[in-house]
Amino acid sequence: MTKQLQSKKTILVIEDDSALLGAISAKLTSANFTVIPARSVDSVFSIDSITADIKDLNADSITATLAHLESLANVNAIWLDHNLIGDDDGIDFIVKFKANGGKWSAIPIFVVSNSANPDLIKTYAEIGIHHYYLKAEHRLEHIVDDIVNVVEAGIEE
Amino acid sequence: MDEDTIAHNNNTSLRERADTSAALLNVLSDYKEIESASNRSRRAVLNILEDLEESNTVLKDQALKMAKSAATLHKKNAIDTAILESIGDGIIVTDSKLRITFVNKAFEQFTGWTSAEVLGQHLLTILPVEQEPGIFSSRVQKILDDVLLGASFITDSSKPYYNIRKDKTRFPASTSITPVWVDGSVIGLVKSFRDITREMDIDKTKTEFVSLASHQLRTPLSAINWYTEMLLSGDVGPITEEQEKYLTEVYKGNQRMISLVNALLNVTRMTLGTFILEPEMIDVTSLIKDILIEQTLDSDRKQLTIKTNFTDSMPIIESDAKLLRMVIQNLVSNAIKYTPAGGSIDIVLALDETQAQFELSVADSGVGIPKRQQSQIFSRLFRADNVRTDDIEGNGLGLYIVKAIADNAGGRVWFESEENQGSTFHVKLPIRFTTNRQ
Repeated sequence: MTKQLQSKKTILVIEDDSALLGAISAKLTSANFTVIPARSVDSVFSIDSITADIKDLNADSITATLAHLESLANVNAIWLDHNLIGDDDGIDFIVKFKANGGKWSAIPIFVVSNSANPDLIKTYAEIGIHHYYLKAEHRLEHIVDDIVNVVEAGIEE
Repeated sequence: MDEDTIAHNNNTSLRERADTSAALLNVLSDYKEIESASNRSRRAVLNILEDLEESNTVLKDQALKMAKSAATLHKKNAIDTAILESIGDGIIVTDSKLRITFVNKAFEQFTGWTSAEVLGQHLLTILPVEQEPGIFSSRVQKILDDVLLGASFITDSSKPYYNIRKDKTRFPASTSITPVWVDGSVIGLVKSFRDITREMDIDKTKTEFVSLASHQLRTPLSAINWYTEMLLSGDVGPITEEQEKYLTEVYKGNQRMISLVNALLNVTRMTLGTFILEPEMIDVTSLIKDILIEQTLDSDRKQLTIKTNFTDSMPIIESDAKLLRMVIQNLVSNAIKYTPAGGSIDIVLALDETQAQFELSVADSGVGIPKRQQSQIFSRLFRADNVRTDDIEGNGLGLYIVKAIADNAGGRVWFESEENQGSTFHVKLPIRFTTNRQ
């Protein structure tokens, strides 16, 4: 049985595979997370990207953008894949993310990737993540339980 | 003339005649002797002539034979030279001072030197060798010294040495160096080498492809894994017993596929030496115990009896934990997998007599390996007929991985096995971290 957060928290999930993104979002939602899904680094940082599907800038698109930015400000944890849609990968995301400094730099990042390249894992460890999981070798429940524990404990990276 | 005178004359005449006759007889006798001697001499001369003729014939025969031998030798020499010249591998022959005495056409093509430029020159002056690109090593000179003492040397194609051409560019080479023996002494060496740049490029491309394919394969497998897991956990509502049974089979099949992809990826990395080795201090006893705990579910299900015998004097060793775990895990899981229900497994950990290596033995009372297939057991993707017939799951990569790790770590792996009696696998590894590459 998946662990549940005592109070609702927000998690940013950046995963390029839509099938996996669906499973991850469902599991995290059942653990009492509010999930902000994204499939590329651009879609996290670029307003253009967020509103790309909206032809005209209108009240709805402005509300959506503001809601996105507001929720980003409240992110408690990040689920990050390495290979993402677009030119940037997970490492590029962390570099951009940490460049903002302040509160964001302390948010725990869980890299969940199917790349087992030791060089890559080492790079992630050096730039500062909470944990690296090889997707195929871990149960989804196990990863979500770990994230719940870390967020509940308020562990800062 | 009176009668007396006549008589006297007659007597005198008779005497003279007698004397003459005697003289004649003597002459005749001498003549016969001379003739006899002459005959003897003639015979002797004839004999000598005969002997000379015979000797002459023998000499002629011998001269003919020698001429034939010389022609044969000349022909053989021409054939040998033609063979050496036509061999695709570069060939260098040196004397005992490593001065070059022969090179073939392929040598000239590979290195850019001509035969005339290199004859009499020192081998390493003409063809310097690096252990890694840009790294000269005293090991190269040591290898040549060893060969001149009678040893032979062959490079591992996965870890080639690099030869430097006349224009200072380098190429990886598969090399063999052997001594030239004459009358029990080494009078020089023969080095043959081949540029394996193309083979290495193909290997690299192959590895990159397998690596990418493995990564791409894992993504849909992860999706199957996680969605099945969520269904089994009841995340989207309760499921019937029958549905749970079927989903469990899907989940297990998917896990097997993930294991296969992981094993293929590991094999590829090992083949090309792209594993990053990270030595650390390890308590082997604890590691074995952890692995046994992980395998408890499988061993309990088959009601196997597992006995352990760990030496008390086992030190903390320096090794790569990830690779050491792979070795132990493969040997233990094989023993569990190939031992029928109710069987037994004995695990022994001991230090060898030098205290520089430790030996892990895993003995099982399992299905064993057929004698005729034992030589193939460490081959990639090989599975013995008896385990295939019995439908025992496996991918034929575990023991290949174990051997690759043991070989690379300066250790070794071996086994004894009897079909339907069981197998004992032994692995011996150094206490201190090492790799053959170093």
